[in-house]
Amino acid sequence: MSYGGPVPPDYGDPHAPGERAEEYLAPEIAGEASALPLWRRKPLLVVGAVILGIYIVVAVLGPLFVGDPRVTDPANFYQGPSWDNLFGTDKFGRDVFARAVHAARLDITIGILIAFFAMVIGSAIGVVSGYFGGWVDEIVMRLTDVVLAFPGFVLALVLVAAIGNSIPNVVIAVTVAYIPYFIRLTRAQVLAERELEYVDGAKLAGNGPWRVAFRHVLPNSLGPSFVQAALVAGWAILTVAGLAFLGVGIRPPTAEWGVMVAEGAPDIITGQWWTALFPGGMIVAAAMAFQFIGDDLGADVL
Amino acid sequence: MSLLEVRDLTVGVERSPHTLLREVGFTVEPGEIVGLVGESGSGKTMASLAIMGLLPRGIELRAGSVTLDGRELVDPATGEIHRTANEMTMIFQHPRSALNPTMRAGRQIARVLELNQQMESREARDEAVGMLSRVGIPGAGRVARAYPHQLSGGMCQRVMIAMALACKPKVLIADEPTTALDVTIQAQIFDLINELVDETGTGVLFITHDLGAIAEMCDRVTVLYGGQVMERGTLRQVFTDPRHPYTTYLFDAVEREVDPRVEEKGVNFALQGCRFGHRCPYVHEACAEFPPLYPVGDGHVASCFLHGGTDGTS
Amino acid sequence: MALLEVRGLHKVFGHGRSAVPAVRGVDLDIERGETLGLVGESGCGKTTLGRVVVGLQAPTEGEITFDGEVLDGKLSRPEYRKRVQMVFQHPAQSLNRRMRVNTTLSEPLRLLDVAAKDEIRGRVDQVLRLVGLGPDYLLRGPRQLSGGQQQRIAIARALMPDPDLVVLDEPTSSLDQSVRGRIIALLRSIQAERGVAYLFISHDLSTVRRIADRVAVMYLGRIVEVAPTERIFEDPQHPYTKALLSAVPSMDLDTRGTRIILEGETPSPSELPSGCSFQDRCPLVHERCRTEDPVLRPHGGDRMVECFAVTERAR
Repeated sequence: MSYGGPVPPDYGDPHAPGERAEEYLAPEIAGEASALPLWRRKPLLVVGAVILGIYIVVAVLGPLFVGDPRVTDPANFYQGPSWDNLFGTDKFGRDVFARAVHAARLDITIGILIAFFAMVIGSAIGVVSGYFGGWVDEIVMRLTDVVLAFPGFVLALVLVAAIGNSIPNVVIAVTVAYIPYFIRLTRAQVLAERELEYVDGAKLAGNGPWRVAFRHVLPNSLGPSFVQAALVAGWAILTVAGLAFLGVGIRPPTAEWGVMVAEGAPDIITGQWWTALFPGGMIVAAAMAFQFIGDDLGADVL
Repeated sequence: MSLLEVRDLTVGVERSPHTLLREVGFTVEPGEIVGLVGESGSGKTMASLAIMGLLPRGIELRAGSVTLDGRELVDPATGEIHRTANEMTMIFQHPRSALNPTMRAGRQIARVLELNQQMESREARDEAVGMLSRVGIPGAGRVARAYPHQLSGGMCQRVMIAMALACKPKVLIADEPTTALDVTIQAQIFDLINELVDETGTGVLFITHDLGAIAEMCDRVTVLYGGQVMERGTLRQVFTDPRHPYTTYLFDAVEREVDPRVEEKGVNFALQGCRFGHRCPYVHEACAEFPPLYPVGDGHVASCFLHGGTDGTS
Repeated sequence: MALLEVRGLHKVFGHGRSAVPAVRGVDLDIERGETLGLVGESGCGKTTLGRVVVGLQAPTEGEITFDGEVLDGKLSRPEYRKRVQMVFQHPAQSLNRRMRVNTTLSEPLRLLDVAAKDEIRGRVDQVLRLVGLGPDYLLRGPRQLSGGQQQRIAIARALMPDPDLVVLDEPTSSLDQSVRGRIIALLRSIQAERGVAYLFISHDLSTVRRIADRVAVMYLGRIVEVAPTERIFEDPQHPYTKALLSAVPSMDLDTRGTRIILEGETPSPSELPSGCSFQDRCPLVHERCRTEDPVLRPHGGDRMVECFAVTERAR
């Protein structure tokens, strides 16, 4: 019985007919019924994780093994892919592979950082907004409405243009564009969680309101945010690359996938397909990897 | 030939030795209320789902027969149950969640009538209001226009009963129909069910863990534990002369002072023998085999070797 | 002097036209070490009353006196939390699913400043034993516990600060029949050992009968009858109490079909008629019930009843 509040999920509810076996049976039996290995149950997650794993290895170790991405070798320009230059060379004779590997370090790191900061900041605001409600909640909601009214890419574009082109600024701008997602997501979960009995239990154990919100409610409200974070990491890479392609944010001669695609795009017409294709392909694969992970990451894995 | 006859129903988890129901059988005659009693995990809900052809994914029917009015419902080829929309209906424990929250109460009943009795919508609407009256709702017209969230639990349950009876079913399965309701409302619902059974001659399978409810409503009883029929007989037989150690245990549980320090051992669903063996005060080696139902009275049976083991242990 | 004295307690949710009076003027006493059962059906306000007593909700009106001290806005303070605690209805839900048992249990000790750091482990072990569990449970999370075990942990958590009063809101309603008996027995043994008082809220009369010393019956925000447990069950006086007890299904085959069936349903608390709130369903209703509000009066030496028909009968 709640007087006007949202209805909490009923944890003590046995036997809703027609549910899946795992939810129905005692844990000992449910384990049997869902005995399929992870790669069969969630193939996308595994594929995505493998690809991401490869990227991380490349990003961390790669730059130690490949050459300097800035070294130019004018005599060697526009060479196609060969054993010396796996991805060929660009118009300055730079090794495209080396550049792509260094760009991987940059882009993957940026993608993860943006997702991380957006999630941390967004969920903190979401918890405060959802748990304490009142005028704070009203203000936060209206602000997120405003931010979400702009397409993320456009917003990031405008912000970077305003604060200047640099890597930290790009991270800040794109993070700001994605924070509202996490605010909304966390807040929604918090609204449901705060009606549950363990919140009362926490109060009786002596937790003040801030501790209840951050120590108890927040950890239980982050589930959907982790999924969103995986997706946001992928989108962030696309956004950053897209901005760089337009010449905003990260600019040449920094080795960044979007920059490389921008530099290599005109080469396609003249037949040097490798300068744009490889970095472009890496963007796509990275974004897809994060997308797969986010799509298949469910409550049962977290 | 009984109205509903269930024999040797065996249900298990796919690709697993776990058997959730083992050779379960009982009958329901017209105008009779038959109780299926057990604690949670006894398989009583699973049995009702099996009969209705509503087993969840991952659970399969391994053996058994279910006949309704003489007609076999189990398809010999696929081992699945043909659903019997209007001859056998079910009402559930949580009335509000069993009703469609986006549809008005009267409309939900009317749809059942349109689909199952091929009524025209005008006629169905009027009949729906009539049914709401019959299940004891004052101001039936107003309630028919209401949405489930505007109605109390007791009202929702009456709506669900009206929906179930709209098909004029031969058998009604009631799975813990009043467990979520206040006790005074429960008394009203029991009264209603009795009235309707007397009026229509529908057979009722009444599933619950509440022994008092069984005593109040049922003519005959089947006691279930761990998917095994422990005892079966008339209400009087089982309640005044229980013969299975589990039944006595169940009756005592209500009053008994227990040692609070001791936690309870759960059922082992992969066990081949008697499912109560690990807790039974009379357990011995014969119990490693699945006990058949031995007769202990006129139509009264108990699945315990105490009542007819071949090694002379009775 | 009673451990807890409640006078004229009102709790209204919302305001104006959508105001819902959940508790409408309740007087209550709980003695040290006793168990007061609070029974009633859904919507009667018993849960709200419990939550106000434990300080999770502020009363709209009324006075609460604990151990001689009148509380006024102090209900949410740590000092009160050390002495009045609560156990909730849904064991799985009442524990933080991301916290292990040892954290859940040590938290009140740390936050309420009940024990020094080096004493914490000892206290936790001690209370864990008191609820029938061993130290092997410390590292488990709620998901690895059965319903009964979860509730034991919840009880342990409530007992950590060694309170004088524990409010239990339907503590066994979500548990299996067989587990229920064990938890009730556990609560009784704890009471015997620690002398803690209980406010045992439940709609399940048979459970209340096994643990309560006295029983208070609530209907629509008011207490309609209070008496020692056996007296209420053997000889209920208020017409609602009688109907409530009669409606409980019993295993006694001879009482089949002898239930008092009440008409209609509980009216909504926001649309109450003037006079007695039970008037539309009461078999003893007469003129006076519709115009005047009945009040709890002593009746028969050991009980209080709120009903004109009953208390005025002697005249």
